[in-house]
Amino acid sequence: MQLKLFVLSASSVVLWLIPLAALDKKLDIHKALQGVSLCAAIACAVSAGNIARELAEESEIEAMKTRAITADVVDEIAVSAYVSQQQRQQEAEAILASPGEDLEASRQALEAIYSADLPEPEVTTLATASEPTPLDKSLYAEICKSREVGKTNTWIIENILKMKGRKFADGKVKLQELLSKFEGEA
Amino acid sequence: MKAMYLANYFVAGCVAFSLLGWIASLHPMAMKAVLFLLAAIAIAWGLSWLLDYSLSKLLKISVADLQALLIGGLAMLLIGLGVFICS
Repeated sequence: MQLKLFVLSASSVVLWLIPLAALDKKLDIHKALQGVSLCAAIACAVSAGNIARELAEESEIEAMKTRAITADVVDEIAVSAYVSQQQRQQEAEAILASPGEDLEASRQALEAIYSADLPEPEVTTLATASEPTPLDKSLYAEICKSREVGKTNTWIIENILKMKGRKFADGKVKLQELLSKFEGEA
Repeated sequence: MKAMYLANYFVAGCVAFSLLGWIASLHPMAMKAVLFLLAAIAIAWGLSWLLDYSLSKLLKISVADLQALLIGGLAMLLIGLGVFICS
């Protein structure tokens, strides 16, 4: 299409200028040739103008499409950001609105975990008591989660009960005690 | 591409005025007719230039567009007839 446009444009200029400037005036058909070439030049120029106008309109439509797609993408990103923010807000509100007992139990468990003096607190006296403490519950919940994920007992003893090296054997015993206590209750 | 389309219509206008000159060169009566036509075009052009605001409202285009059209038309006339006369 563009090639046609350029050929028509060039031929219109050539048909306009060449017969006027270069045609031999002694020829009998000089005037007739000039008239024909001028008419042809007008036809070529108008055709080329129409083609160029169509192409310009098409490119304008393409530009509009590109702008619309860009605006859609921006809008989609904004919507997803808004939705995720709303979800997080709802989750936070749900946590805040949960029953006080659970909150209290969670708070106690967290306190028990973080108030230990050692940097890596050992769980030495957790499973010894007959009544399960909130810390036992939280440990058991973590153990269950780890088992669901497919973690081994060794990993659980080392990372959840924090009993590595020489204390690994004690950890193994405590893991068994915890499991027997809670699974026995169930 | 818009420049190309404007340029092609401009060339078409120039060739049209050259064709008018060619018609004028065919016969003395044709010359008179063409001169009369050119006089009419000149009067219409002058009136359009003077009445640009009311004409732009009538044609529903901006004054700047109308003035651009008038100047473009004048340039077409000058170039087209100039090329024909000088050849």
